[in-house]
Amino acid sequence: MNKKTWNPYLAGAATGVLIILSVWISGKFFGTSTTFARLAAWVEEILGLNTATNAYFTAKGGKYGAGVLPDWQLLFVGGIFIGALISSRFSGDFKFQAVPDMWQKQFGSNPLKRGLAAFFGGIIALFGARLAGG
Amino acid sequence: MTLVYGLLSGILFGIFLQKAQVLRYDKQVGAMRFLDMTIFKFMLSAIIVAAIGIYALKDLGLIHLSVKGTSIGAQLLGGSLFGVGWGLLGYCPGTAVGALGEGRLDAVWGIFGMLAGAALYAESYSFMKAKVIVLGNYGKITLPQILGLNHWLIIAVFALIVLAAFAFFEKKNL
Repeated sequence: MNKKTWNPYLAGAATGVLIILSVWISGKFFGTSTTFARLAAWVEEILGLNTATNAYFTAKGGKYGAGVLPDWQLLFVGGIFIGALISSRFSGDFKFQAVPDMWQKQFGSNPLKRGLAAFFGGIIALFGARLAGG
Repeated sequence: MTLVYGLLSGILFGIFLQKAQVLRYDKQVGAMRFLDMTIFKFMLSAIIVAAIGIYALKDLGLIHLSVKGTSIGAQLLGGSLFGVGWGLLGYCPGTAVGALGEGRLDAVWGIFGMLAGAALYAESYSFMKAKVIVLGNYGKITLPQILGLNHWLIIAVFALIVLAAFAFFEKKNL
């Protein structure tokens, strides 16, 4: 537990056990991208847009809309943030960094350049994830 | 109680991801560049263990599978787009949130991008449903079903392939 890094096979296997317990106890398989859809609907509502007329946010009984929140997966996503924060703090791995090392080597240390790539990458990645089904 | 289970499993998953260094851009893009297979070791180990446990629980009648529909069009186009986006962002949706917990501020840009991507998908959903999701749409199918083979045979073959990949990674020091 105190070692700074864990063997990825063991940490992965522990995650497998966690998935089994989650499916068994609460009937929930791990996933995160649907929460981005629900939060996008939530933000749209705050901005005054009406999501009740959107075909996606109202599909399948509104399971992709903001009406489901707060739900299991929202708390799961929040938990990932908290777990990573606690773990990195205790391991001494926590570090504010705007441009990853490998990116710096290839493309330099401009945080805006890195930020724009991350932003547009995020748009494409989540669009693709939602289209593919999760 | 469901919400508490969500929070607890998220926290534990976040700890496992962080301890295995899976949350890092360098590890994620390192795997795509075939330089460092840490994330594949983590992911495939989780999949094998979970597959065995979940099919065992299913055989015992304790759980129901929640199979997603197969649409060749949606998964080919969606998967390819996801790959391009993942390469640019360097985090997947869950690891972006975890990376932020580790202090990696570039993940914030990615999280805003992903929210925008979800909104964009919602706008294009009617089109995708009519033109893309219908292509090669086979509904909720599984490999054991279409091959007509016992699921444990499929899991065993899959496990052997994964173990061979692990042996290769270790031999090549990836």
